[in-house]
Amino acid sequence: MAEKVVELQVRIAGKLFVLRNTNVTKALLDAEPEPITSHFVVLGTRRFPPKQVICALTGLDRADFTTHQARRTLMRLGFAAGRRGAGPSAATGGPDTGPDRLRPFVGQWVAIKDQHVAYAADSPHRVVAWLAEHGQKADSVFRVPEDEVAATGLAPL
Amino acid sequence: MRFGFRAIPDPGHEGIRPRPIVDVVVDGLDIAPFACLLDSGATAVRLGSHVAELCGIELSDAPTQSLAVGGALVTACMSEASLRVADAHQTYEWSAPVWFCEPWAPSFGLLGLSGFFDRFTVTIASYEEWFELAPVSA
Repeated sequence: MAEKVVELQVRIAGKLFVLRNTNVTKALLDAEPEPITSHFVVLGTRRFPPKQVICALTGLDRADFTTHQARRTLMRLGFAAGRRGAGPSAATGGPDTGPDRLRPFVGQWVAIKDQHVAYAADSPHRVVAWLAEHGQKADSVFRVPEDEVAATGLAPL
Repeated sequence: MRFGFRAIPDPGHEGIRPRPIVDVVVDGLDIAPFACLLDSGATAVRLGSHVAELCGIELSDAPTQSLAVGGALVTACMSEASLRVADAHQTYEWSAPVWFCEPWAPSFGLLGLSGFFDRFTVTIASYEEWFELAPVSA
């Protein structure tokens, strides 16, 4: 089914922008998510700080608007938003606890921080590079199992 | 040190039974503790070779053997490495022979008898889904 296009006219930092939900994911396609300090929005299987997304869409400096404004704009475009460490009820995108939150990352390497996926990539090298680059320390790093062998970790014979 | 069991999704199934998994810092790589399963069926500590690469552990002259992990043949290279586990209150670091394996199918490392179970008294309360590690005094 085709994605429903949502278009929004917003004024940010005194400038008028026309934003479309379909452009948001495209604009962030090749972007690495910055570390989440508090609020986030969910684009596909990744979480981004709302300010990073609005910066990428508008070219504005992040000092020109607030996280609240960015978060609200993106929610109006239909993106799920949440707050790190606030528990499942804070996320508007659905359940966020236990193994369910890892299902979108099957086959990927993840860095878990404060019960959330801080970063996901196709190799442990990229995960460790991201952690080092952003001065982050993960609680746990592993690959989300893609099959039963990966999930069960059978002991050596 | 006490830890709760951890559930990791099992593709193709509704869920998976939470298991005793602990995060281990290998050779001081603090930013990326690797998830490891307590596995009394494994004779030693076994990790993927990517862990050695990321930690800068040189394996070119390491003792090598072939073994089967999860039904697949792997090449395992042994090197002494420092391992560290911690809970909210305590930290314990020790040195152990670690077998770095290629290819590596499991999603996590395996903490086996030599290098792990011989360093701790391990209590597993499966019904209550927690486990406890008490370092064995030398």
